Amino acid sequence: MRCTILPFLFAGTMLMAQTIDRTKPPETPPVPSFKMPPAHESKLPNGLSVVLVEDARFPLVSMRLSFQAGSKFDPHDLPGLASMVAGLVTQGTTTRSYRELAEELTSIGATLDGHTTPDVFTIGGSVLAENTAKLLDLLSDVALNANFPESEVQLRKQNSKQALLARRSQPSFLANEKFDALVFGEHPYAALSATMESLDRMDRKSIVEFRDALLVPNNAVLLLVGQLPPQSETLKLVRDHFAAWKGKPVPAAPAKKFPESKRQLVLVDRPGSVQADIHIGRLAATRTDPDYYPLLVGNAILGGGASSRLFLDVREKKGLAYDAHSELDRRKDAGVFTAVTQVRNEEVGTGVEAVLDNLSQMAKAPVTAGELTDIKNYISGGFLISLETQASLADQIDLVSTMGLPKDYLEMFTSRVRSVEPDQIQAAARKFIEPSQATIVVVGDASQIEKSLEKFGTVQVEKAK
Amino acid sequence: MKFAFLFLILFCVVLQAAQPVIPIEKYTLKNGMRVILSRDNAVPVVTLYMIYDVGARVEEKGRTGFAHLFEHMMFEGSANVPKGMHFKLVESNGGTLNGSTHPDYTDYFEVLPSNKLAVGLWLESDRMRSLAITKKNLDNQKEAVKQERRLSFDNRPYSTAIVDRWPELAFRNWQNSHSLIGSFEDLNASSVDDVAKFFRTYYAPDNAVLVIVGDIQISEARKLIEQYFADIPAQPKPAKPDLSEPAAAAPRSDVYHDAHARVPGVIIGYPAPVRRSRDYYALGMLDVLLTGGPSSRFQLNLVKGKESLIQYQAEIGWPFASSADYKDPGDYAMFLLFKPNFTPQQVIDQAQDEIAKIQKDGVGPKELERARTLLRSDQITSLQSSLHRAQLLGRYEILDGKPELINTNLDNFLAVTSAEIQSVAKNYLTPERRTVLQILPAPPAAAQENH
Repeated sequence: MRCTILPFLFAGTMLMAQTIDRTKPPETPPVPSFKMPPAHESKLPNGLSVVLVEDARFPLVSMRLSFQAGSKFDPHDLPGLASMVAGLVTQGTTTRSYRELAEELTSIGATLDGHTTPDVFTIGGSVLAENTAKLLDLLSDVALNANFPESEVQLRKQNSKQALLARRSQPSFLANEKFDALVFGEHPYAALSATMESLDRMDRKSIVEFRDALLVPNNAVLLLVGQLPPQSETLKLVRDHFAAWKGKPVPAAPAKKFPESKRQLVLVDRPGSVQADIHIGRLAATRTDPDYYPLLVGNAILGGGASSRLFLDVREKKGLAYDAHSELDRRKDAGVFTAVTQVRNEEVGTGVEAVLDNLSQMAKAPVTAGELTDIKNYISGGFLISLETQASLADQIDLVSTMGLPKDYLEMFTSRVRSVEPDQIQAAARKFIEPSQATIVVVGDASQIEKSLEKFGTVQVEKAK
Repeated sequence: MKFAFLFLILFCVVLQAAQPVIPIEKYTLKNGMRVILSRDNAVPVVTLYMIYDVGARVEEKGRTGFAHLFEHMMFEGSANVPKGMHFKLVESNGGTLNGSTHPDYTDYFEVLPSNKLAVGLWLESDRMRSLAITKKNLDNQKEAVKQERRLSFDNRPYSTAIVDRWPELAFRNWQNSHSLIGSFEDLNASSVDDVAKFFRTYYAPDNAVLVIVGDIQISEARKLIEQYFADIPAQPKPAKPDLSEPAAAAPRSDVYHDAHARVPGVIIGYPAPVRRSRDYYALGMLDVLLTGGPSSRFQLNLVKGKESLIQYQAEIGWPFASSADYKDPGDYAMFLLFKPNFTPQQVIDQAQDEIAKIQKDGVGPKELERARTLLRSDQITSLQSSLHRAQLLGRYEILDGKPELINTNLDNFLAVTSAEIQSVAKNYLTPERRTVLQILPAPPAAAQENH
């Protein structure tokens, strides 16, 4: 160790580089916080919730029109329908063809797209601030008047089939598909995507029915974030474009019924695979569950980033894999914890064993104080960095309104993370990470790897579709 | 820790705005290291971006993939940073990081909460000063690169065709045409001496630019930079390889059978103009007309219209660069995925027909104005991220010596006329100058023939 001289003693003089201690990292203060801009919330008589947030950093406005109409609302025989509607909603309206819409969007410096999650259907985009009123006009046209031309429906179906074909060639897709089917059971969350059969069955009628039933104002939140006109003017614009939209009762969301978690081991046979994809996990806490923050922090210690236990053990120490991580899928009605890695065929048994050991360890012993401090910085720093762009800020605010989160969710996020204690993490790990009731899905060449999986339970082998 | 190449980005913007002016303070340390500072206190975040003037095109025969292998070595520790601590220190201070190897430069970044700037400077200066070059670290990273290659390239559709086969077809000069990822054989042959020599030659302060963008105080940042970097010794300027291509080489075409692909694709390329020439700007606008945004000609006429394309991307410098960091020689290339009920030749002809329409008629004022607006809004959107600003500042400095292009380059594109677009289409994008690589789905057995 060399001597340390604080650099600011030399302020104003020519600084010599030797004056700092290079042997250890510089001391720095804790991660700073960021004050969220205030949100103005109101509601139109037709039930449309409106949220306005001023963000003056850039000459841009971001818009999100989000409906409680994600893929969990897909009819049982039509998985992928919400996603199909989202793809088509910007492809033509009763007043504008696709070409007209696309040219208008480009000419005002805007984007506008539909997309879905398991819970939420969103039409969103951004625009140069000077053209806010024009994008609002296009957004309302798309939301109210999309007319799903037959030619666009056919084209989308064909292209979706090609895309599905491409996704099916990826082992991670096959693993996710089987895993979701097992942990969600009869609930519509179980369907990861459309199938060739459901794409065949979809037609303009089913698409229009979905829109008419679910894309209604009392089922939606309109969020505007950016350099907005004065509030009264913005609200008038919103009323001008959305007040005439008729509300109506919406169908209830599917019942929150999920299978009991239990140990099950499915091997999806993919002949010719040189490595195996391993997914291990179970149902876990949602964002509104009291165990959520301990689980979030514990999951990051276990498998978030390049300093996590799984990464250091499975990749760095044991050299079994390039990727080893864990993740939380945080849906509105259920959370899912999963640990994921890919290992060479001959190492499959060792790989599963290593992941299971790390999962068990989270429940057996408390995390260390050092791990906890580091991970809290990691999570709060990541949150801060995510607020740099307006689109990401808009997504965060949208999440609060669409996922039924407390109003102070974003404001309090960092301090809630900071308050998590080791015993809370251990308790959450016993409930959700400890693997005795975990589902294990492996995708790989059964002829090569089935034997080495037998010690973990009865192996149920299925053909890859 | 990756090879940067553009994959599913339909349109990647590059250019700069008239609107938000990015402040720039540029100076040089005594050892020749260039520094660019850009202050923006909107969010308490800072990006530290270190770019070295060395890329995969300097590699020597028998050492393919070396620049990328070396980039991995930069994460293996240095005199005061033990192995594995680089990642840990950035992450435990709330930051993110990465490095990537490009044809003409190699770059590293840390995005951190702004009061953690010193940690990033300490890490970057320690590895520039005293990288730990050991046989153990090298062997370890050779394996990591091979594993990365297996997972990210050899096991994915289109990747090997794009990364290895396409440059062989498009270029004649070995410096440009060799595999930037490298062969296992060459990786195995690299020695600790090679790494040490490469480090000495190219990772010197006078061959690097440090860019800091975000929530900083300029005087404090300058002081810290001085402390951490000023006494790292300069080195002689390395020689630059000859990258020139023969002028009148006949274009080539080939078919690649891809065991992982399920959907057919085709790559079409044309040798592109000199960086930042009038033709380069005109070709940039032509690219926007053909493939930029939802009303581009490819979208309206080929995805819709003919209903042949499923997905497309195009860039000057594709697949490893886009117009911001393209350095000639290189191609304007497009990668098209299409429905199997079309033949590759039909799709090639359709793309050429779209170009022919512009060769014949130019472009109308409304369409050109739309393209300009698209460029303008895309650049404002992309400048939100401090990392993106830092990348642009650093790349403009390395490639042009002009970081101020971040504020002025957009005007060069906006000034392009219909006649210039027509002329660049006629002079550059002709079938006679066209290189073509078809990528066809193949059963695993057939794919073996490529090797």
